[in-house]
Amino acid sequence: MSYKIPMGPYHPALEEPYKLDLICEGETVIDAKLHIGFNFRGIEHLAETRNYIQVIALMERVCGICSNIHTLTLCQAMEGLTGLTPPPRALYIRTIMAELERLHSHVLWAGIAAKLMGFKTMFMTCFELREKVMDVLQAISGNRVNYSMNRIGGVNRDITDPQSILKMVEALELEMARTVIPIFTTSRTARSRCAGIGVLTNLKAISCGVVGPVARASGVGQDLRRAAPYAAYSEMQFDVPVQPAGDVTARLLVRALEIMESCKILRQALAKLPPGEIHTEGEKFAFITGTATSRVEAPRGEVMYSVSWREGSRNPARVHVRTPTFAVMPAIRWMVIGARLADTPLIQASIDPCYSCTDR
Amino acid sequence: MTLTLTPLEAISERLGTTEPWIEKGGVHWLAPGSVTVRKLAAAMNRLQARFVTITAYQLPKAEGFRLEYHWDLEGQLLGFTFLLAANSPAGAKIESIYDLCEAVDWIEREIHEGFAINFTGRAYEPLLLREGDTPGVNLRDAVAANKEKK
Repeated sequence: MSYKIPMGPYHPALEEPYKLDLICEGETVIDAKLHIGFNFRGIEHLAETRNYIQVIALMERVCGICSNIHTLTLCQAMEGLTGLTPPPRALYIRTIMAELERLHSHVLWAGIAAKLMGFKTMFMTCFELREKVMDVLQAISGNRVNYSMNRIGGVNRDITDPQSILKMVEALELEMARTVIPIFTTSRTARSRCAGIGVLTNLKAISCGVVGPVARASGVGQDLRRAAPYAAYSEMQFDVPVQPAGDVTARLLVRALEIMESCKILRQALAKLPPGEIHTEGEKFAFITGTATSRVEAPRGEVMYSVSWREGSRNPARVHVRTPTFAVMPAIRWMVIGARLADTPLIQASIDPCYSCTDR
Repeated sequence: MTLTLTPLEAISERLGTTEPWIEKGGVHWLAPGSVTVRKLAAAMNRLQARFVTITAYQLPKAEGFRLEYHWDLEGQLLGFTFLLAANSPAGAKIESIYDLCEAVDWIEREIHEGFAINFTGRAYEPLLLREGDTPGVNLRDAVAANKEKK
């Protein structure tokens, strides 16, 4: 006999509202249904009522973790409609901000995953490290969540002392290499809770069109920083970690290795930060009629913005956002089928879901 | 001598179209002409392109809707535009590609719920993104009507 267990929309294992209806036989999940939209905000519609400056502040609030990525993608699309090209220094600062954001997002996720594993000490360690990343972000932007760094044609704030940021990044990298990564990759607690559970096969990952670390943990080696470089990524040397197993361990490993790759990119970008302006100074611009699209590799995967404008208008005619969690979340159904009920909180957390992005 | 087709040429050949590809706004666009969305989805599957999203636009003066389908092929973003008339009694509709492309499920449902566009040949599960029990409501029109009432 099968029975249904509702998990959410408010549940101790879920940080934000979403609902998973689990159909179980005994302790085994045989099917699942997902429900989202508990905090649907209609941001795309709201964007049509904001001018080209206000819309940046609005879209920064699509997500509280990757807020910078949303403004970066939006500004890139709007630059496509205005013909403005950011100066090289601005492109490097955009790259640095994007990688710092990836770092804090991945460490935050590692902490939450550790908590769901029952590994509370690791949770505290990760959050202590994340604070250090947040300190770097605050040192650059003056803010801890919505950084207000991006603008059309460049960035709002300069990195005046890259050497001091470099020292902070090196200290972080050392701490990651010394504690977080060895514990996650070798500890028995982590291995016993993650290995072989929540498997998303390579074929299913392709069929579901999943993106980001979830795709790379199922053997799909896609990364827009490599495939379609933006900002200053074409000038950076880095690897794209790919794991074939498709289980929670693979997702853990991909993110752990990406933390190290982010540090590698940060070191290069800070060392090579070119001199010059940080935005197109005093240049007049106007929007042309048309649609421009931009894609960026956010911490959770590909973000895509389609921005449509009519010449002479102060407001966009349409802003469409395709967030990575919206693409990845339907795959949870395939990950939990056959899993033990007790593993489902960790499995759903292993995609690093962002309900705020999904309910934009 | 064998000629190797570029990925974009391979798509044109599969679709049997001679329309030119146009790169604009970060996307490689191809006018689908008489090619149906289902034929397009099948061709994308054979070329192992990754489905990205559909963007819906409501056209002014009740002219209907524009749907932009996007796939990623080796890092290149591809775009195909379909225009839908809204003047039929059943409203705007287009064939669903859900059975060909699993990744399209949520975005078809989201557009159905926000623009009242009917993706034919598929069933809709309970509402995805908003409250109520009536799927297929054009939220823009509903919001405007509510404002007028107030």
